[in-house]
Amino acid sequence: MADWIRFLRERWQYFDAALALALIVGALVYIYDLLVGSRGLDVAYITRNYTLYLHAVLTNVYATTIAFLAGLAIGFSVGWLRTARTASLAKFAGSMRVEKRERQEDASGSESARRLMVVLSLLWFGTKYVIRRIGDGFVEIIRGTPLYVQILFASSYFIIFLPQYASEGILIGIIALAINTGGYQAEIFRAGLQTVHSGQIEAARAIGFSRLKAMRYVVLPQALRLIIPPLTNEYIGLFKASTFLFVLGVQDEISYLAQHEGFAGDVFEIFAIVTVIFLGITVTLSFVVQAFERRFRIPGLGIEQVTLPRGVRIARAGG
Amino acid sequence: MIRVEEIEKHFGALHVLRGITFHVEKGEAIVIIGPSGSGKSTLLRCINLLVEPDSGKIFIDGVHVNHHGIRHEWVRQQVGMVFQSFNLFTHLTAIENVTLGLTRVKSMPRDQAIEKARRLLARVGLAAKENAYPAELSGGQQQRVAIARALAMDPKAMLFDEPTSALDPEYIREVLDVMTALAREGMTMIVVTHEMGFASNAASRILFMDAGKIVEEGSAEQIFHHPKEERTRSFVSKILR
Repeated sequence: MADWIRFLRERWQYFDAALALALIVGALVYIYDLLVGSRGLDVAYITRNYTLYLHAVLTNVYATTIAFLAGLAIGFSVGWLRTARTASLAKFAGSMRVEKRERQEDASGSESARRLMVVLSLLWFGTKYVIRRIGDGFVEIIRGTPLYVQILFASSYFIIFLPQYASEGILIGIIALAINTGGYQAEIFRAGLQTVHSGQIEAARAIGFSRLKAMRYVVLPQALRLIIPPLTNEYIGLFKASTFLFVLGVQDEISYLAQHEGFAGDVFEIFAIVTVIFLGITVTLSFVVQAFERRFRIPGLGIEQVTLPRGVRIARAGG
Repeated sequence: MIRVEEIEKHFGALHVLRGITFHVEKGEAIVIIGPSGSGKSTLLRCINLLVEPDSGKIFIDGVHVNHHGIRHEWVRQQVGMVFQSFNLFTHLTAIENVTLGLTRVKSMPRDQAIEKARRLLARVGLAAKENAYPAELSGGQQQRVAIARALAMDPKAMLFDEPTSALDPEYIREVLDVMTALAREGMTMIVVTHEMGFASNAASRILFMDAGKIVEEGSAEQIFHHPKEERTRSFVSKILR
């Protein structure tokens, strides 16, 4: 093999990174040229106004974080509900028949007490059925409709039914975002909870754990570690989605972008500030989460990163 | 100690257990053998109510356990279970696997639980591995931790569901040694296994199950060398070869 080909092969990852970097820089230069062109960057505008935008983004961070935390509660509850296979009406009817027969076979207690037990178990199965279906419907509606529509819907709801709060844009926005992220997090939680092997629950039950305690001490600690990456993803997505709140009159990042006097003239500068702020926050977050993940990693749980010792290269056939 | 009367179990259209009746005296070690699909595992799971039988009665130490008003959690603390695939809690170290039930189910103080877990890990020969995660242990070591975890709850009896059939051959011995020692110490045990050596050494009786029924019951000598039933004979001839 020619020496130069080997030289390239052994260093392909550097060329790869360099090429990616060149493409990104090229794209940025192109956009810069397109928007700013010969007039030059208005540095004075940026230095004058960036604190304004930094301050405004706090509203987004605040709304996102509160909505995300509320979403965790919604997501866990609905997700757990949905790990149980949704009972069909036929199965529901079947379990009622079994219950009725068992109560009748049980000779202890009076006739009226037995009747009461049948009615109670009927109610219990019925409630379980209805709650599960509501959970399914909730997730489908949230996933299937645009966030923008959901925010406007929440706003209209407040205007019609709770007019005294209708001017509280941030409150309405946080509620809408929480419900939205709750729907998505429900699916994340469901996937995480279902990934934990059923043998783990069986083992916990076998030493006397109740269903709730098995969830708390065996399933959740494992599931949470598995779903940190998709939850981070969801937080970042929600953070960006929080920019929709400006339609409710919230003074957030985008409201400055849209309303600021310099919008027509200094469009590149405004976008540059917003981009740097958002990227700064999201990239920092993802680094923090990665460090957190490494800290709490447990051998044998989840996908482990393969790190080769320095100088070791993956062998290649014929290489 | 354990008495099972006329247990029936269906999974949908599948009739898994067809009127199982047997009893286990205190200190006895019973081995159950039989072809796969004969209902051995389901029978074990019925005894600690991981699977609820459709009908029939189960008594543990004289208590009718599958009766209304008996808490399943309480029943499961009375009988320990060891699984084919170990099922150690992946996110916990060996010693935490043993202490979790003590601290969270039995509400034992932490230092007391750790002391007890250390004693049990030493008993199964794993004192040095207490801080290892399951993924860092061999199959044989994992199964021994699982035995320690079950013993920690001070069960009145132990159920073993094919404890060695997921193990590489070189690790089977160490697990069987622990089980044999347990049987010698007088632990009441029901073991589903095809390990003939263990059955001959440690079992007081052997039950042969097929198609949801107990076909034959007797000593190791009788079942392995002088079976009465044709089905037992043909099954034993296959596994003894």
